[in-house]
Amino acid sequence: MSELIKQIFEAVVDGNQKVSEAKVKEAIESGLDPTTILNEGLLAAMSEVGKLFEEGEFFVPEMLVSARAMQTGLNVLKPLLVNNETKGSGTVVAGTVQGDLHDIGKNLVCMMLEGAAFEVVDLGADVPPEKFVEAVKSSGAQIVAMSALLTTTMGNMGATIEALKKAGLRDKVKVMVGGAPLSQQYADQIGADGYAPDANKAVGLAKKLIAA
Amino acid sequence: MSEQVHDHNGMKGKDLLFAVLRHEKTAAVPWVPFAGVHAGKLKGYKGAELLTDKAKLLESLLAVNELYDPDGQPVLFDLQIEAEILGCKLLWADYAPPSVASHPLADKLEVPTHIPRADEGRLPMVLEVMREMKARVGQKTALYGLVTGPFTLASHLRGTDIFLDSMDHEDFLNDLLAYCTRVCIQVADYYIDAGMDVIAVVDPLVSQVSPRHFKRFLSDPFTRIFDHLRGRGVFSSFFVCGDATKNIEVMCQTNPDSISIDENINMPAAKEITDRYNIAIGGNIPLTTRMLLGNQQDNMKYVVDLLDQVSSHNLILSPGCDMPYDVPVENTIGVMQAVRDPENTRLALAHYQAAEVDTSAVEIPDYAHLSKPLVEVFTLDSETCAACMYMMGAAQRMADELAGKVDLVEYKFTRKENVARVVKMGVKNLPSLYINGELKYSSIIPGNRELVELVRQYIHD
Repeated sequence: MSELIKQIFEAVVDGNQKVSEAKVKEAIESGLDPTTILNEGLLAAMSEVGKLFEEGEFFVPEMLVSARAMQTGLNVLKPLLVNNETKGSGTVVAGTVQGDLHDIGKNLVCMMLEGAAFEVVDLGADVPPEKFVEAVKSSGAQIVAMSALLTTTMGNMGATIEALKKAGLRDKVKVMVGGAPLSQQYADQIGADGYAPDANKAVGLAKKLIAA
Repeated sequence: MSEQVHDHNGMKGKDLLFAVLRHEKTAAVPWVPFAGVHAGKLKGYKGAELLTDKAKLLESLLAVNELYDPDGQPVLFDLQIEAEILGCKLLWADYAPPSVASHPLADKLEVPTHIPRADEGRLPMVLEVMREMKARVGQKTALYGLVTGPFTLASHLRGTDIFLDSMDHEDFLNDLLAYCTRVCIQVADYYIDAGMDVIAVVDPLVSQVSPRHFKRFLSDPFTRIFDHLRGRGVFSSFFVCGDATKNIEVMCQTNPDSISIDENINMPAAKEITDRYNIAIGGNIPLTTRMLLGNQQDNMKYVVDLLDQVSSHNLILSPGCDMPYDVPVENTIGVMQAVRDPENTRLALAHYQAAEVDTSAVEIPDYAHLSKPLVEVFTLDSETCAACMYMMGAAQRMADELAGKVDLVEYKFTRKENVARVVKMGVKNLPSLYINGELKYSSIIPGNRELVELVRQYIHD
């Protein structure tokens, strides 16, 4: 690995926005392949960040600054990337379910998915079932990712799955769920395809669901 | 109904809890059900009604006190009280506390100066209910006043950017946290003046930051709050929700009298740490998998298993956090019974879980041909379980009034032969009341007149 790629990787892990931006520019100017900068620098760093989060080394603030550093580097790189090189993994429609305003967990999942080259359609918080359905139709997403922090709103995950069934979309998308009150048992109960306990595991799960 | 005062070898529940908060060795483990919005379920009130209406809140809290017979009880579990006064818009829900829907400092780095007055927002209602609860049940039950912790309050005001502020605007974050600490202390003072025995500083967001971050920004605010509470002569608790495993140690270093954790944290591991600091620990009955979605036996089993794993010194049994609205009443009753009488609960569960409960010896009465109505009350044990005592009490008063015209029998789950009967009869929850083999009441206690009138319908002279 070139010294510059290594520095980009470290800047993202450290959450250093300025260094990430400068080193990506430098790497481009030195003639390094944009795809290599993306995969071995920016995306590899986010994968490391996810690992550190899962291991309890990183927490929410560290993840947020790393994601920001990655995004800054990516903005410099984007014009040089051909077609969909940054969004090669698949498309995910994500949101916190209806009645629930808690979006920290959902935002982390979206960031990590983007960091793993997924195209993410982030519907925000308090998302009614029909909005998930519309977004799946318009984006052609392969995955619907839902989050809930409240025991009283997690029932709306089941309602969204029902809405997808009614719209004839259930067989076309995989559904993954997460959030503090959730469990694998609950995910099975509502007929979701997968459950992830944290943002990093959510990326692994999304990749698995796409491959299935 | 008569007032139940649970007796722990001559010690009132409140005194037992105080002894644990003073870190003394006790003969029993105190029980503190966090019935926030769930209190409304007991009286059929939705979240917004419960959390804004003084009479409904008081009525519901008294129902919690009666049915769950707590040693300690929160008066309100709503982390939006302060935020609402400070300009956050709230989104109300029917079966959950409200959520903060807007963050007044989202786009500006300004530290507010306004400290909530006792006549602002919902504080007058809260303080009045606190005083009333103190007068009604304060003799036997320790009352908890819950204040929003400075980090969570700061996040209500600032939004998610609060996490980036630790990197981008360190001075602003420190100033904002210092302000939120002043708010926290002022609101705690109001609650103490209204008679609260324990102030719980509830800060779920602490689970989202590293110990390093905690030490840099939060150690000082929390230490100041707990020092202040100690100076005011009340007990303190540090409530955290979520996986704060790595922060337990730094939380201990802020010197609260107790810490309360949820199921995301391994209780034996956390207790090893709190024991080192001689701080009491409370928790951590799982809110969803056990309390909301499990059955009565699951809940009892969780408690006795937990008691088997940790020493009872410096221990408080409670749900992991604010109980979901729809927790079945019988599940909470099961938890209470298991805390109060772990020995018999353990035995009863062992009988119940035996691969095949031998029900051959159980004789089911010929309900269709009884000479007089047969009222059967299935209880956990009416001597240790308040709800069971009330159910049995209601049945006994009915039997007294209908003197001789009805047969009444209690089956305690703590006896092996009764476990077999519970299985054979298909009794799902305890306490339950059956008339001539038909389930009539489960967990919810009938009023005197209601029960007498119902049983009369079965009397054929």
